[in-house]
Amino acid sequence: MSSFFDSLSILILLSSFILMANKMSKSYIKTFRFQSFLIALAAGIMGIKTITEEGRFDVLVVCLLIIILKVIWIPNILSKAYAKAEYKVEKDFILNIPILILVCCTLVVFTYFSLATIEGINDGMINVQVVNSVSVILIGLFFMISRRKAIGQIIGFLVIENGLFVTAMFSTQGMPFIVDIGIFVDMITAVMVLGIMVFKINEKFESINIDKLSNLKG
Amino acid sequence: MGFFLIALPVIAVLLFMLFKNSIIQHTISLLTSSLLIIIAVYLTTDVMVLGSAHHTALGGIFYIDALSIIVLDIVILIGFMASIYSVSYMETEIKHGKIDRGRLRLYYILMYAFMFTMILALTVKNMGIMWIAIEATTLASAFLVGFYNDKYSLEAAWKYVLICSVGIAIALLGIIFLHLSSIGVLENNQFLDWIALYNNAESLKSPIVKLAFIFILIGFGTKAGLAPMHTWLPDAHSQAPSPISALLSGVLLNSAMYGIIRTVAVVNRNLGSSIYTGRLLIALGILSILTAAIFILTQKDYKRLLAYSSIEHMGIIAVAMGVFTPLSVFGALLHMINHSLTKAMLFLASGNILQKYNTKQISEIKAILKLLPISGTVFLLGLFAIAGTPPFSVFASELSIMVSLFTAKKFVVGGALALLLAIIFAGIAVTLFKMFYGNNQEEELQPGETNKAGTIVIVVLFLVISISGLFIPDELKNLITQAQNIIIGA
Repeated sequence: MSSFFDSLSILILLSSFILMANKMSKSYIKTFRFQSFLIALAAGIMGIKTITEEGRFDVLVVCLLIIILKVIWIPNILSKAYAKAEYKVEKDFILNIPILILVCCTLVVFTYFSLATIEGINDGMINVQVVNSVSVILIGLFFMISRRKAIGQIIGFLVIENGLFVTAMFSTQGMPFIVDIGIFVDMITAVMVLGIMVFKINEKFESINIDKLSNLKG
Repeated sequence: MGFFLIALPVIAVLLFMLFKNSIIQHTISLLTSSLLIIIAVYLTTDVMVLGSAHHTALGGIFYIDALSIIVLDIVILIGFMASIYSVSYMETEIKHGKIDRGRLRLYYILMYAFMFTMILALTVKNMGIMWIAIEATTLASAFLVGFYNDKYSLEAAWKYVLICSVGIAIALLGIIFLHLSSIGVLENNQFLDWIALYNNAESLKSPIVKLAFIFILIGFGTKAGLAPMHTWLPDAHSQAPSPISALLSGVLLNSAMYGIIRTVAVVNRNLGSSIYTGRLLIALGILSILTAAIFILTQKDYKRLLAYSSIEHMGIIAVAMGVFTPLSVFGALLHMINHSLTKAMLFLASGNILQKYNTKQISEIKAILKLLPISGTVFLLGLFAIAGTPPFSVFASELSIMVSLFTAKKFVVGGALALLLAIIFAGIAVTLFKMFYGNNQEEELQPGETNKAGTIVIVVLFLVISISGLFIPDELKNLITQAQNIIIGA
């Protein structure tokens, strides 16, 4: 079972590499949908495991929530917001893609070596699942920095959230149920708030390019 | 009774949605905040007598002790002041055409949603739910920061939401690691329960706890405005409507700092000493004070200057928590109260100035003392207070922190702190004091206060900070000592 989760965690990490290599804002949303699907798969398998072993249903409920929210609802409203806001094609990233991918590789290596020295996370051998999922968080963070458009920053934020979720799932078999639900509520609100704001920024600045937001300094 | 504390803001939000008439809305707001004050008084006496208040609702997640009641009382008190001040302030904004009447409803809905999330963060014992509530504070206040809907406020709101959400996401990673460190130690139903974590702190896995602390410090530190994660703070504080700036600075930063303090208590108990957390907190604290000092010296906008001063005071609290002796923790908690009241007063007074002169630029403002005799005087004296001049209360708490630094033999940190505080005092004097003198060129500005009720609030706050600088009531002293014992574990 653990080798299956190992390979799933590698696939999730790989999907964040794909995200980094994407050029079009539209494909960010697709990759995010794909990554969320992989996470839902992992949560589903873990949910079935917990039902048969401990009789708890909560992980399966969380899996269902991921499918509804992250695979279906959020990508859909982001595509809608994007269709409204995007009428000019602009170059989105600051560095070119090979360099971005190289930086991502460095981030994974960095996570590997920093987590390898911490006792308690690794039982005898290095816990690949945690290394991969923490790398997803860092790559999400770096993705936010590397894109100029508001939509890229929202996706980056959601990828960080995804990374946090997998870290919690792989390292602790899930947070307490009430906390998980609360995190979902926060996430829905955050996406709505950010979506409305993108719309307003587009209205006032006639662009969703974050470079234009540079009036407040000092 | 404690249940009403959480229910009241929710009921208020629902009522605001129902009623469109602005007089009814003002009444609901004033009524809710007064009721909150009554409940807070009741709960405070409860905590003073019993030590803590438990509630059985929702699986017993609600828990209030001396540490949370101190921060909670600040939230409710400043919320009350802000609600009185808001009535006339928002009416004037509508009269000046800055907002239309429909947005008043949005303002109140968001303000009480904001109050709700802060109260929730301070009344739960589960670290996970506390995280959820602190993240929700950002979301509730995002549109309050961007309330005027112009280019500047939208930029501030975007930065605010994005930086704080990402920061707080990092805190969640820390909480996940904290959870991981407790697996095998705590029962299933005790996971992330602060009391259980604290009581079993010695048996948590130390390496993971250390890792968790770094993430939580960075995450909640972003929200508390510690440098170098502070960049959202001056923008958000300067662009929000003034009563909201008072809430952000006086209350929101404390709620985030409260999260850090709770974690520090667990981590120090686990590690058996405060060296690890102390180094990190003192480094971030001194860096915050230094950043604030530099920006205060060159500031051109008075609301931004007050925001940088908040960064400075959060830095002082972080340094005091880093020293972690009984005296320094006492000083940190007292400083939290004093800073909140003083800064809320200054932001409310700056709202009066903003409405009179219609500009945030320091260079365009002259002769405040002539045009705004009461709030101008209070603003001037408040600046002395926030810079740490006796006899005001900020001086008392800064002095006790300073004494604790030197008695703990941290001479370098103490010396640096004293030097930086002196630079900040000079910075405030050089940049702001020219606002008070001279003659106003524009003839159309009439002398006199516009916001009568608001001015009374400011004067009351001023009296409180002047008296509490000379004399702290025994009840308050006992409450802070109780909280200090909770943190240090005496």
